[in-house]
Amino acid sequence: MPIFSFLNSGFLAALPLASIPVIIHLLSRRRLPEVQFPTTQFLRQLEPREIRRLRLREILLLILRTLAIILLVLAFARPSITPRNGVTTSAAAMAVIIDDSESMAGLDEQAKPRMEGAIERARALVLAARPGDEMTLISATRPVGAATEHTSDRVRLGRSLANTQVTMLPADMAGALLMARRTLERSRLKDRELYIISDLQRSNFDAKARAELGPIAAAKVRVYLVPVVQSRVPNHALVDLDPVLRPGPMGRGLELRARVANYADAPSDRIAIRVRHGDALVGGGDVTLRADESRWTAMPLDWRGTGSDSSQSSGAVLIEADQDALAPDDRWFAVLGAPGRLRVLRVTEPREGAASPRFASLALDPGKDGRSGFVVDEVSPAGLLGLTKSRYDVVLIEDVASLSTEGEARVRAFLRDGGGLVVALGPHSDPGYYGSRLFPGVIDLGLDGPEQAAAGGSYELRARLPGHDVLNGLNVGVGAPLTESRLTGVMKARTLTTRPEVVVQTTGGLPLVATSPGVAVFLSSLSDDWGDLPYSGAFVPLVRGLVSYAAQADAQGPGSTRVGEAPAARLASPPGAAVIVRGPESYSSQASVRAEGTAYRAEADAPAIQPGFYDFESGGRSIATVAVNVSPVESDLAVIDSDSLRAASGSGSSTLGSANALASHLRDTRRGKELWMTFLLLAAAALAGELLLGSARTLRA
Amino acid sequence: MSERRPRLLDPHFVSKLTRLDLTARLVVEGFLTGLHRSPYHGFSVEFAEHRQYMPGDPLRHLDWRVLAKSDRKYIKQYEEETNLRAMLLVDTSASMGYGSRGVTKLDYARQLAAALAYLMLRQNDAVGMFAFATGRAELIPPRSTLGHARPLLLLLERLTPGGATDFASSLHSLAERMTRRGLVVLISDLLDDPDRIAQAIHHFRHRKHEVLVFHVLDPQEVAFDFEREAVYVDLETGERVTTRPQELRPDYRARVSAWRDQLRQFCIEKRAEYVPLTTDQPYDRALLEYLSKRARLL
Repeated sequence: MPIFSFLNSGFLAALPLASIPVIIHLLSRRRLPEVQFPTTQFLRQLEPREIRRLRLREILLLILRTLAIILLVLAFARPSITPRNGVTTSAAAMAVIIDDSESMAGLDEQAKPRMEGAIERARALVLAARPGDEMTLISATRPVGAATEHTSDRVRLGRSLANTQVTMLPADMAGALLMARRTLERSRLKDRELYIISDLQRSNFDAKARAELGPIAAAKVRVYLVPVVQSRVPNHALVDLDPVLRPGPMGRGLELRARVANYADAPSDRIAIRVRHGDALVGGGDVTLRADESRWTAMPLDWRGTGSDSSQSSGAVLIEADQDALAPDDRWFAVLGAPGRLRVLRVTEPREGAASPRFASLALDPGKDGRSGFVVDEVSPAGLLGLTKSRYDVVLIEDVASLSTEGEARVRAFLRDGGGLVVALGPHSDPGYYGSRLFPGVIDLGLDGPEQAAAGGSYELRARLPGHDVLNGLNVGVGAPLTESRLTGVMKARTLTTRPEVVVQTTGGLPLVATSPGVAVFLSSLSDDWGDLPYSGAFVPLVRGLVSYAAQADAQGPGSTRVGEAPAARLASPPGAAVIVRGPESYSSQASVRAEGTAYRAEADAPAIQPGFYDFESGGRSIATVAVNVSPVESDLAVIDSDSLRAASGSGSSTLGSANALASHLRDTRRGKELWMTFLLLAAAALAGELLLGSARTLRA
Repeated sequence: MSERRPRLLDPHFVSKLTRLDLTARLVVEGFLTGLHRSPYHGFSVEFAEHRQYMPGDPLRHLDWRVLAKSDRKYIKQYEEETNLRAMLLVDTSASMGYGSRGVTKLDYARQLAAALAYLMLRQNDAVGMFAFATGRAELIPPRSTLGHARPLLLLLERLTPGGATDFASSLHSLAERMTRRGLVVLISDLLDDPDRIAQAIHHFRHRKHEVLVFHVLDPQEVAFDFEREAVYVDLETGERVTTRPQELRPDYRARVSAWRDQLRQFCIEKRAEYVPLTTDQPYDRALLEYLSKRARLL
């Protein structure tokens, strides 16, 4: 029930002023004065009907004048009404989630730091707290570790707020919401409010976080979304890096591949990327991306002048992209391994007594010298018994009818060890074997058998997922043909679950390339049995793409550690003394060491809180360096639709879209909604009505 | 303009002076001083004096004899000699007693008549006066001596407002009695039947008189700026009308304007001069109109 009150009730003493128009009216009506006039021949006597009309108008004018004075006096008395969600008469328990994730280091639409806006809003909440109110400040990145106690001490809350800073961690919104609910449920106060001060990134509110909003609504907590931005700010980011250096084009030089993403609704400008080794600029490139596109970009490296051997180059490098709205994700720290070659075991069957064509081998290693970055061994299915992860990175099974039980077991063990698998299903492959024996547990793909194109017809290869790693090196759009070559036959297949990705398909929608992590299946022949694909320009990048994609199952190099995770390093030998990990901003932590296969794994006890290089030291000597980078979860600055969040958090929730809206909300709910402006406008309207009515002619001429 | 006007032409100032003969003289002298070229000191038949020739003076008035004898250039100046006979008709009806700003219409008419009489006598015109209202009328026949000013001013000082405006009987009888043609100056608020006013003017015109009508109204009669609802009492008939000025003001102004237009129209038709005046206007306009009319007559 709304409560009506006056904040300056002393002004109500002026209400008798409203009687002034009445008194004047009564005095003027007492007796009509007589006026001597030279002649009355030009005057007209008022008719009774006109007099009645004038009297009515006078009464209306009198009412308007009186009303205007009353409204004016009431406006000065500052009337206020307590809204339904007001807490004017009782203390409130408040939980304030402050998003201090990496994305808050970005700028808002006015190029102002987001965190600044968040602190400003949180401070407004602290200042609005009244004696008896209780408040908890909860960090969105470390809900358990960095929450203040539930207190009504505004000084302590203000001090805690002053120490709040942006972290390089991703937001744990589900954890923060859980923390807020538990805190509020423990409060003895009945009025409970939850304020979420955040840039409301879509990526922060996953299903888990949204599921936490339901119990909060059930606990009768009013949820207020306090966004510090309203719209998606364009941002590009470095989101991944292949830590293995590859030979450059035509086998010359080295190149490094970084994955760059454009989180925007429009194409990016040209993004320049630089690779630094210490202070030296050792490489770079540029890329232009479509809206919401991410792509691997190869950057040639030039180590001359750095004192490093180009053939054995390795070490810590910093990759930098042009800075934009969010700076932390424009840098990537990496510790590069020695230039590597992918070791491929190609498994084929002789056909009609002759060796099968070597198109795939030629595509991977044309000079048979490994300068292309691929080293290929060729064996028959019986040779699979020699397949181990220590010898090969990828096994390519090309148009083999079926595998022996031992061979199949060896392939599965190879996959478990992190090896990659590429399968090409040509006319000699047995779909029943692959569909029911090899693929289950490897890739969710069902096979229906070979299908030939109608007489005179053929199948085109069309990209379905451009930008996929398999298509790296083929600059194609959605639905664009990869090549002018045609296939005359395909192995008809279907995906059994949503997990496999169909990267390439035929014009009729039949899958041609399907992938699962570490596995790539080409549903046709890599030879010229079914068409002329090996003779096309797309063949070499496609085969290399298939093999490279499969090899990435093991590509989790040292650069993949994220902020918030404990830095870990693989050691070839056990350290002679205790391991200490040192990192940026005075980070220092003990590390525990355990055996892992034939090697050892050292893992810091404390999580990394900043991106950068972390040194593992033992006995005062550096034994390993790992790179830690920010999570790409924070890079997409798209804002979640607040309506959907409100729907999840019950009818008591609302959005306070600006600092002014928050201030107004606090004023209304703490002191009541002030209505002086409404009364003032009504008084003005009454005066305007009086003027209009007073100046209007009501009598005929 | 009003800032530079001689105070003696301001009706409010003049009304504070008590002696009508003095005020009439002051008004006329003030008026004449303000004129750039005096029509009063003109060139007529009777020689008045010599004055030294000034560049720009017309050569036809140069005294050639004096020039031949003394080799000095003198201009001959003459006093006007006319046989103009003027009759000032002053309305003294009750409605003339109305004044919203301290000066009644009768005060204004009285002062204007006095000034005109003084001016006429200074120009050697014969001036008479006729004060009229229903049931009372006083006549002083025209004479041209300066001493004639005294009875005229005495009559004017005696005048009090009363009775109704009666053009029918008063003016018709006067028209019959004025045998020699001359100038008839009517000073009135003309609050009578327009047809009767028209007939009276027509009567004078029929007798070959020139007619100059000064229509004197109070500013409030024109603007009707009253604010409050009131009972308005007719000064002549006693009729009472309850009305609201705010509501009827536009209607009133339209009627008064139409009435003045009607008066002007029949004055034009009868070839009489119609000069609308309000009591807040200076006398110089009326005096100028008179001099202009006189100039056309002579």
